[in-house]
Amino acid sequence: MADSISTAQFIGPVLELSNARPIFEGEGLSYGRYNLTLNAGECALIQCRDKQQAASFTDLCSGLLPVGEGSVRCLGLDWKELEDRRASALRGHIGRIYQGEEWLALYPMQMNILWARLYHTRRKLDSLVKEAVQLSMRLGLPGLPTQLPSRLSSLDLRRAEYVRAFIGHPALMLMEEPVLDEPQELYNAFLGELTSARERGAAIVWISSNPLSWRDYEQGNMQKFRLSDSGLTTLRGM
Amino acid sequence: MTFPDRFLLVQRSLAAFGRVARSQPRFMLIMIGAAWGVVREAIQPVTWRRSVQIEFWRNLRQMTGGGLVSVLVVAVLTGFGIVAQAVYWLGFAGMAQMTGSILSTVLVREIAPVLVGIILLGRSGMLIVTDLGNITLQKQLRVLNGQGIDPFIALLLPRSLAMTVSGFTLGMVFSLIALTMGYFVCWMKNIVTMPIWSFMFQVISSVHPEDYISIPLKFLLSGFAVGLSCCLSGMDITSEDDLTTILPKGFSRGIMSVMAINVALDVIF
Repeated sequence: MADSISTAQFIGPVLELSNARPIFEGEGLSYGRYNLTLNAGECALIQCRDKQQAASFTDLCSGLLPVGEGSVRCLGLDWKELEDRRASALRGHIGRIYQGEEWLALYPMQMNILWARLYHTRRKLDSLVKEAVQLSMRLGLPGLPTQLPSRLSSLDLRRAEYVRAFIGHPALMLMEEPVLDEPQELYNAFLGELTSARERGAAIVWISSNPLSWRDYEQGNMQKFRLSDSGLTTLRGM
Repeated sequence: MTFPDRFLLVQRSLAAFGRVARSQPRFMLIMIGAAWGVVREAIQPVTWRRSVQIEFWRNLRQMTGGGLVSVLVVAVLTGFGIVAQAVYWLGFAGMAQMTGSILSTVLVREIAPVLVGIILLGRSGMLIVTDLGNITLQKQLRVLNGQGIDPFIALLLPRSLAMTVSGFTLGMVFSLIALTMGYFVCWMKNIVTMPIWSFMFQVISSVHPEDYISIPLKFLLSGFAVGLSCCLSGMDITSEDDLTTILPKGFSRGIMSVMAINVALDVIF
């Protein structure tokens, strides 16, 4: 289970791609070598216009896309060397924001949001619900949503998505297009949660097609890349 | 025909034969593998995480509670039709002492598992095919995988096991109601005069010792086969599939599974 892998004592990069080359070129990533090192509290801003490419890259970082040469390590553990159960447990330390169909229409929102925490941890339900309610309220929801996803507006779904990504204090956050055209209050609340997560030691990968989306958050010490057909290239002076 | 042509012909024939040989038992082999996987995972305490437990109980409630009315209706109709008729005609033919034996063999051992399996398939199995089919078609399994949630453990295992328990429960309810209803019909028509306890005792005492294993096994395994085949039909789809193709496929696979389990257990016991 996720709580069996301790993040507190871990010193080293939270995410490390060393000459990682995905096995299949497929429809997403190009067949190149990918290098990225993110320590606790660091943030990588990645510009990518291709939705599929962004999705494949986050899958590569979370060990879902197999790597041929090189390695992808999360909290010091190489995805290639982990058997399925341990790899799943490690993924429990990752908070994700997806593009597209990110909710299971079959389940109510509270299940969608808490599912991973209930699956990976032994935290008491009351404590999980309390955290989810607090997060929901900070992000502009009246409480933890309990309707089916189809009953929520797209804005509330986005809020709920942030709740799901931030709950349980993930060690790594992989965010595909986390900000589109959200209202300023939600944008500010999201950036506030992001800053808190970084202060707790989370490493952030923020992928967006539009660099303006991180305009209020960008700092000089952040790593900036472009993900395209030529791979992951470093950007300077953006 | 030159040697390379002949070689090519043989090669193509063998390839075609291999394709057919591999495609026909493909789903059955997947079923066997998945069944082993469910059993292996189910006995490990770590599998029973809270979300899996929630999913199991939710499905058990839906399958058993939802299927109960259908099972009661079919059981009453079976009691009216099969049990009452069997009791009447056996008495008419002077073979009343065979009543218990025939009812336990025909109704409880043969008909009940098949009917309950079909009710489960129609009432809950098709729902599973639709739900899991939608999740797979809309690529939502990626969301689960991305959160480190194994769809096999989170979706397939609790549904299959809930269907197993549900199959047993509904099978027992069906047998009891059908026998009781048959008794009351005959009692009201004065075909039988013995008390219901004597009637039930007559049926129970004519059950063979091996049937005490085969009957519960049939109920359990019919439910398990329906649950597993529906889950796999929902998840084992291609990009060309949609609900109009996976539902009939899921139904026919479910029916085949119920029949196969019943025939196999009849052969064994």
